[in-house]
Amino acid sequence: MPTFVYMTRCDGCGHCVDICPSDIMHIDDKYRRAYNIEPNMCWECYSCVKACPHQAIDVRGYADFAPLGHSVRTIRDEEKGTIAWRVKFRDGRVKNFLSPITTQPWGTKIPDFRNEAEPSDEMRNSELLAFEPKYIRMDDGGLHTLESNKLSLKAGGEYHESL
Amino acid sequence: MKAYKTIVEDNIDILVVGAGLGGTGAAYEARYWGRNKKIVIAEKANINRSGAVAQGLYAINCYMGTRFGENNPEDHVRYARIDLMGMVREDLLFDMARHVDSAVHKFEEWGLPLMKDPKRENAEGLAKGAYMREGKWQIMIHGESYKPIVAEAATKQADKVYNRIMVTHLLMDDAKDNRVAGCVGFNVRTGNYHVFKSKATIVGAGGASNIFKPRSVGEGAGRVWYAPWSSGSAYGLMIDAGAKMTQMENRIVLARFKDGYGPVGAYFLHLHTYTQNGYGEEYESNWFPELEERVGKRYLNTEASHVSARPIPTCLRTSAIISEINAGRGPIHMVTMEAFQDPHLEEVGWENFLGMTVGQAVLWAATDIDPKFINPELTTSEPYVMGSHATGCGAWCSGPADLSPPEYFWGYNRMTSVEGLFGAGDAVGGTPHAFSSGSFTEGRLAAKAACQYIDDGKAEGIVVSDKQIADRKAQIYQPLETYRIGRNEIVAGTVSPSYILPMPGLQRLQKIMDEYCGGVTVSYMTNDKLLNMGMQKMSIMEEDLEKLGAEDIHQLMRAWELKHRHRTSECVFQHTFFRKETRWPGYYYRGDAMKLDDDNWHVLTVSHRDRDTGAYTMQKAPCYHLVNDE
Amino acid sequence: MINFDTTPIASLIEAGYTFADMQTYVIVMIALVVLMTIADLLHKGSTTYFFNAAAKAEAQLAAGNADCSVGKEDTRLTQLSAGDKAGILVSTIVTDVATAGEFHNPVRRLVHILTMYGFILFNAATAMIIFGEAETATLATVWNLGAIMLLVGSFWFWFSFKVDGQAEGVAWNSITLRKDMFSLSLMGTSLTALGWSIYGGGTGVWFALVLLSTASLFGGVYWSKFSHMFFKPAAAYNKRIIQANGTNENLPHETRFGGATPEDDDFQKNRHSMELLVDAPMDMGLGIKREAPKHY
Repeated sequence: MPTFVYMTRCDGCGHCVDICPSDIMHIDDKYRRAYNIEPNMCWECYSCVKACPHQAIDVRGYADFAPLGHSVRTIRDEEKGTIAWRVKFRDGRVKNFLSPITTQPWGTKIPDFRNEAEPSDEMRNSELLAFEPKYIRMDDGGLHTLESNKLSLKAGGEYHESL
Repeated sequence: MKAYKTIVEDNIDILVVGAGLGGTGAAYEARYWGRNKKIVIAEKANINRSGAVAQGLYAINCYMGTRFGENNPEDHVRYARIDLMGMVREDLLFDMARHVDSAVHKFEEWGLPLMKDPKRENAEGLAKGAYMREGKWQIMIHGESYKPIVAEAATKQADKVYNRIMVTHLLMDDAKDNRVAGCVGFNVRTGNYHVFKSKATIVGAGGASNIFKPRSVGEGAGRVWYAPWSSGSAYGLMIDAGAKMTQMENRIVLARFKDGYGPVGAYFLHLHTYTQNGYGEEYESNWFPELEERVGKRYLNTEASHVSARPIPTCLRTSAIISEINAGRGPIHMVTMEAFQDPHLEEVGWENFLGMTVGQAVLWAATDIDPKFINPELTTSEPYVMGSHATGCGAWCSGPADLSPPEYFWGYNRMTSVEGLFGAGDAVGGTPHAFSSGSFTEGRLAAKAACQYIDDGKAEGIVVSDKQIADRKAQIYQPLETYRIGRNEIVAGTVSPSYILPMPGLQRLQKIMDEYCGGVTVSYMTNDKLLNMGMQKMSIMEEDLEKLGAEDIHQLMRAWELKHRHRTSECVFQHTFFRKETRWPGYYYRGDAMKLDDDNWHVLTVSHRDRDTGAYTMQKAPCYHLVNDE
Repeated sequence: MINFDTTPIASLIEAGYTFADMQTYVIVMIALVVLMTIADLLHKGSTTYFFNAAAKAEAQLAAGNADCSVGKEDTRLTQLSAGDKAGILVSTIVTDVATAGEFHNPVRRLVHILTMYGFILFNAATAMIIFGEAETATLATVWNLGAIMLLVGSFWFWFSFKVDGQAEGVAWNSITLRKDMFSLSLMGTSLTALGWSIYGGGTGVWFALVLLSTASLFGGVYWSKFSHMFFKPAAAYNKRIIQANGTNENLPHETRFGGATPEDDDFQKNRHSMELLVDAPMDMGLGIKREAPKHY
């Protein structure tokens, strides 16, 4: 279901051009507004739809298989931490949705390792990653190994599926 | 020709190529181990939404839950082994599974909404507060912003993030053979040539969609199951650098909602929907006895499955659908009418699409399908080549020192057979069922190992000649020049006798793969004759790819995506021909070897493409399995 | 350098042109704009489109709340009275038109305001001088001020805010005559008018350039973006109307708080998984939207 841009809503701000993972939202030469240059490379990921500050972008299902007359629109509200969807069927039936998109204020809980203590030599020589082993099972248990789990690796096709 | 600037980023320690879930994991972890190292990311699109998780996810499909007493890593290994008919790297899988939970717990801390299980909110003991499980390995999330959240964790640690850089080639060390030295590419906005010189390179540039002809060929070619921007670049870059690849024959075919390819995981596991043929009948039992005969009882034992709840491999379920449809009793439906009567399940059923594959919701709105009143159609998709789902294509990588047997270990975890070249996510072969969290985890593992590689002095003395840089520059912009000059021959339009544009080129590749390598129009069937003929056509196409034309910088990007896709497909042909058996009915069939052949083929396939001659050498590598110690 | 008390229009009288000549020129310019805008509308059928769209929206409004099986339609749909619409018209003029309210980027908004008011003041002053047949110091000041504002705004736009420059990395010196006609004509008009003023007026090269620029500006309406100046207020008005009457182009209205009624807020708070936000602050800040969209 590729995207299209409403002439009366777009002001050419370029948010969609900036975010599109497929590099297919571009500014039209003549109208200085955005449009989808390659609908057959459009995944309908809605990244551009969500990024547009004017709700100027909408989606029309792929012509290969989607009849006209439907509407699936969204507002992604970063400040409130939610995304709302309104699904309107071709026959007029509607479904409305609201979901959280983050539980923490954006970017506030992400560490900057430059401010963390350097890992010890013991950590470096082990198989542990950052914040491990604590964050694996949130207790004082260690990393799983072949020894700790009483396993070994055996070559070939001779093994029993029940093990 | 327009003069593009050359912009060099030098003295990089850790270069991350491709910032999807794999690449972001690598950049994030690299800073922990390399406090003073220079970490640079080169990403084709915009890191905030790039990769397969652009539209979000509604589940994390790889989570052990050891903290809630749920699973151990070896349980996951056995599950993946069963699902892939035995063909997995159990050392890499165990390694991923034992670490993956720490990434998930961090995601939650950063703000990713994980659903909690209301039934275990006040449970006794370990299970208290457990997440909402969709299935044994999967937990349910509201992951619309999964990618932006994870991207921020990576950008915060990196020294520099280059967005809109199409990386076309890896740079090789001119002083020492088989050692990587960085990468080159071009900026998709400015057109400038970018050179990245680096001590270690971690490739997380994604698997391959659109290498087989898709079922929908118009606008609908964009509605592939795996993102259309997954251009096989991880494989293209690494194969060209001479890295060994594994399991490239193991393409995946998925049973999904028709046309929209909406996910079915939550439907099966959480909503408890089930499938029926076009006449409302159960159909798997029509085909399983025959399949059991072909693959052997150890892989499919329908009697035992009922008793032990042993999962049936994905490919075999898909095979049953294919056979039932070919027998004329399609289409296959998902019976949703029962589940959707429950308003909560109805809401989840729709949210599942809106948070992960919006296109399916759009399609149902367009066709007035309300699953409460209609049981929607399923279909089997065109094949995809990638390595983090129910399939394990990718580079042949070393595992960790404490797990890997000698054939699987050569110094640094997730390092390919090229020194200093590491992989993460779809780029790494033999690690299916990693999904998003597992890919991020692989990135973390690769980053730690890459830092160690540098600290051990393994990256000293790298030399990149000016000639290599200049040669690559000329090569990269060639399609623009080809078009510019060749254009003079014709009046207008896209048809020229002396060049081919990227989209028609892609369509040709898709047709070759479809007809000769087991795509949808041939019901996934191929054989030795077809494979040989296909490989010949691929080699003629490679000659034609020297005459790719590009009208502008955007098309130049498409041109290089096509080259990566072509290289990936060539490798897929080689592997498919090499493995003389049908190991995964449902993914593809070898008409000349329809049975599974454990005597000869209980091995992993490994290929190497000679960087200079282009010749492939194929090898069998032993398959190791976890067994309990006595 | 610039004498704010006079404009070079006086020097045209000295050179032998009458006010009648100049009035004719101005009338021709206005006529070109009017005729070409009408021709553009007729050719494209845009008025038909807008009327059809408005009728469709009215029909949707009349149909009332849709059959909604998940979530709920709120009670927002309202038939607006004539008074409501008048109020909205005023808001449109005051905010969207007068202060370029549609632009969220504050600098871009400033650039647009400079250009717009510069253009208006410059042209209004010119017309008043020519039709009033007298040049006062006030009018002359307005003329010069307008020209300077237009100069600053249009050049600033060209070098920093051309949309394909911002988003696509296209260089400032990449010119395509047809698409850049409007911008270049504005830059040309302001530059040549000031040049004409500074370099003593008269009927020399500068005057010729002024005529060329204004002809291109007003005569190029059929091909340039000039007529969008008239469409934009209509679009802005329409946008406010549909937000006020609740149809809002099928956009969702579900929100975590601040909905139409407290009952709506309660309903949404209790939706599936919204309990995950029970302890979350009201303002979660910005994520992707924190940075300007120039990631290349």
